[in-house]
Amino acid sequence: MTVAMPARLPADDPETAGADFPEIVRRYQSMVFSIALHFLADRGAAEELAQDVFLQLHGTLPTLQSEEHVKFWLRKVTAHRCIDHKRRRKLPQLSLEDAPEPLAPARTEDPLLAKRLRQFVGSLPEKPRLVIILRYQEDMLPEDIAAVLSMPVATVKSHLQRSLAVLRDKVTRTMGEVTL
Amino acid sequence: MTPTNQDPNLLEEALRNALRREEAPDGFMDNVLARRAKQESPAQARRSQWFSLFSQPFVRWAAFAAVSICLVFGGVHYRNLQRERARGEAAKQQLMLALRIAGNKLQLAKEKVHGINQPQPPKTTPARSRS
Repeated sequence: MTVAMPARLPADDPETAGADFPEIVRRYQSMVFSIALHFLADRGAAEELAQDVFLQLHGTLPTLQSEEHVKFWLRKVTAHRCIDHKRRRKLPQLSLEDAPEPLAPARTEDPLLAKRLRQFVGSLPEKPRLVIILRYQEDMLPEDIAAVLSMPVATVKSHLQRSLAVLRDKVTRTMGEVTL
Repeated sequence: MTPTNQDPNLLEEALRNALRREEAPDGFMDNVLARRAKQESPAQARRSQWFSLFSQPFVRWAAFAAVSICLVFGGVHYRNLQRERARGEAAKQQLMLALRIAGNKLQLAKEKVHGINQPQPPKTTPARSRS
């Protein structure tokens, strides 16, 4: 995206802040929607959740000081709303048995492998799942993930290591020989 | 062993590919803005209705009178409460004084009774001088 955004948002002017709101939605809708989608694995629920996040943002926007602050806020609120949503709805954990068998050897760019990996990520517990999504979707550092999820950096690193081991194991067991 | 198992970078690359950002559904922004407008309009309408009430002089005076009456009655009620509290305090002090006096009298009586009941010591005769 090439649209320039002021480093400092006009916090004291609600009208200007209101005028910026559509631009902020346009800029971050993909980020918020994708975090929700990868966590919930449900497009409808992810869209609704993302809309709720932006509606909440609208009320909070005058208190946010900079673009980085907005981005941080959006990631944090989306992450927490995802966990809340999951706890409220009690979505069933995706088991490996539910996943369809692969039809052909997969490659990294293969949509089948990507789909399988998304399913495996979806089967992780809530916090590790969010850590993986923020690490590999948003390319965030463990320190930043720790700040967003309000947890120690060591815990984030531990979640990352364990989740990668689990994912590697699942890929090995279900996909067999993968040609990358 | 799969290549993703052998090389952690390949698994990470595969994860990055699988978890790439997706475009929000068509009309996402319009839906957000529509919901925002929908949320705002009832609140604004309520607020404007509320403020429009006070634009009429009669309502303004009525509100002023109501607030004044509340203040006067509140003040009177507060003063009565203070008076009752002071009266209660005075009664309490009197009661405490009466109890203290009664206690002293009781103590005196007890000492007298105790003195009567105690056996008299035998009278000692003064020793005669033989001279």
